[in-house]
Amino acid sequence: MPKLTAMMIVRNEAKRYLQRCLNSLAKYTDSIVILDDASEDNTPEICLTYRQVKLFRQKESTFLDNEAQLRHKLWHYTLNDRPEWIVAIDADEFLEEEAIKELPYLLKQKYFNAVSFRLFDCWEGEEYFRTDGLWNPWRRGFSIYMVRYLPQLSSAWPPLKFHCGRFPIAYRQLPHYESSIRIKHLGWANAVYNRAKYERALLQDPSCQYMSKEHYESILWPPEKIKLEKWVERSSI
Amino acid sequence: MSKNVALLTTNFFHPKGDRLIMGGAERYQMDLCRLLRDLGYHVEVWQIGDSWTKEFDGIKIRGLPVNKTEYNTFPELNMAFYENAMSFDYALYFILSLAYPLAREKSIGISHGVYWDWPGFEVANGKQENRQEWLRRMSIALAGPQKLVSVDTNTINYFNATLPGFYHKWEYIPNYVDTELFRPPEETNQANDKIRILFPRRMVPVRGVNETMRAAEILTQKYPQVEFHFCGRGHDDTMEMLMSQWADKHERCYYYWKPFEMMPEIYQQADIVLIPSRSTEGTSLAALEAMACGKPVIVGYAGGLSNLVLQEYNGYLIKPTVENLVASIEELLHDPNKRKLMGKRGREIALSFDKKKWHAKWATVLSSVFS
Repeated sequence: MPKLTAMMIVRNEAKRYLQRCLNSLAKYTDSIVILDDASEDNTPEICLTYRQVKLFRQKESTFLDNEAQLRHKLWHYTLNDRPEWIVAIDADEFLEEEAIKELPYLLKQKYFNAVSFRLFDCWEGEEYFRTDGLWNPWRRGFSIYMVRYLPQLSSAWPPLKFHCGRFPIAYRQLPHYESSIRIKHLGWANAVYNRAKYERALLQDPSCQYMSKEHYESILWPPEKIKLEKWVERSSI
Repeated sequence: MSKNVALLTTNFFHPKGDRLIMGGAERYQMDLCRLLRDLGYHVEVWQIGDSWTKEFDGIKIRGLPVNKTEYNTFPELNMAFYENAMSFDYALYFILSLAYPLAREKSIGISHGVYWDWPGFEVANGKQENRQEWLRRMSIALAGPQKLVSVDTNTINYFNATLPGFYHKWEYIPNYVDTELFRPPEETNQANDKIRILFPRRMVPVRGVNETMRAAEILTQKYPQVEFHFCGRGHDDTMEMLMSQWADKHERCYYYWKPFEMMPEIYQQADIVLIPSRSTEGTSLAALEAMACGKPVIVGYAGGLSNLVLQEYNGYLIKPTVENLVASIEELLHDPNKRKLMGKRGREIALSFDKKKWHAKWATVLSSVFS
């Protein structure tokens, strides 16, 4: 089976979903490369309890100032791990259980060098996901989360401070297999953090270049304006 | 020095070049390109697209910035291809109508089945003069290439009855299945009281998806042991959303799709496989794969499915209404021996559609034209 390496940037994740995420990754990856962006809690200690984890630490946090540089660093640490395939996932994202059955086939197939998934944003807990506007996981399309390492491709990253993507530009242009496996995203599941996330988003993107103003505003919409659907666990045949 | 073959198709990639959904036609094209490569030809592909060049499975694919269609033909694409592929020795027209109006001297046209039995075709070209114009153009498309390859006998029969002058050009090369990859599951003594019914096609009306969904609602209500698995892409994101929402609301109904490499396992886990096409059908790869895995199939009598299924021998050949689907599924539900017998016969039939035979037949046709 080709080697699958996960790569991830973390910062102050101890009280969030890190342990659950690592438990999940440990089931289907061979190696987990983590770049800790100067956490102030025991995030690094949690990471080191997993045999697959290779941890790298930043002394000072740079995620909000220069995300691209951080991503680029993580990419190089990951390449040192001699990966065959790389999955880029955040500490609050989970491939659904069905992935355990399907991933071996995706890693062994020869046609596609990249695999994409749809992301479902859970809202107010884990039982529901959001479907209005740009939150709609079907209309938003697929994003590449997994690539085969191709040494001939450039490792260049777009010179953006944020919204700079998880992979080098060349990998994002690969024809990709669109999988029906869903990614459950818990980044918005706890409303307590949403105002801070909204403020951070507008601080980073004051002229609304990356997302519309309406989309940013929709983070704080009252419940009656928000459309939710129930997350139903699925299994194949 | 290898000889060069140029293949013309419409949409292998999405015309913008950013999306590729691997269906039966795309797999056929890739398998044909691989075969040509194995035979020592150099192959490149042209399609509709914004002047981009991509590579997939080691084959160059180029977009031609023309997208006008007239009477279900693509004259601008045809002519752009003629000029752009001038340095190539031979041509393959992956869809028959693509050979209109101008075909390369040493070329082959391919039919994947009748598509003009689709109601939308009637809506677009139903007027007598439009139908006549389409047929006139098809007669030019058929006249150009030296050989015409059809995946089923239905297409050949249609054209022999309609445009009989091309009788000598037709070659029947039915679709294929790798019978080593797609094989029946190992027999186990494990008791399994579930009955899994699989619909392994695109979620589009012509494939009978709406009839199957209704049949699933009826049968899962009536039989607690029945599961329905809808395994295939939708035509667009909205269709996939609607299918997911529908499956989430119905017990024991599931919607997903799987990579090709996983499909043998999916068929092996099924008890009954449905290919209830209403139209636009050839000799379905999915039907052949299900048969090769030893499964009874219930198929619509569209296109070339009657080349694969003998009524009540290896499955049921039906008009795919909800009632007919329910009735034929119920017959198989109640009779495990019949399921087993039909599956065994299906496997025997599938062996005569083995991919190696497909290779050999194509190699013969290619050597007769590309020489």
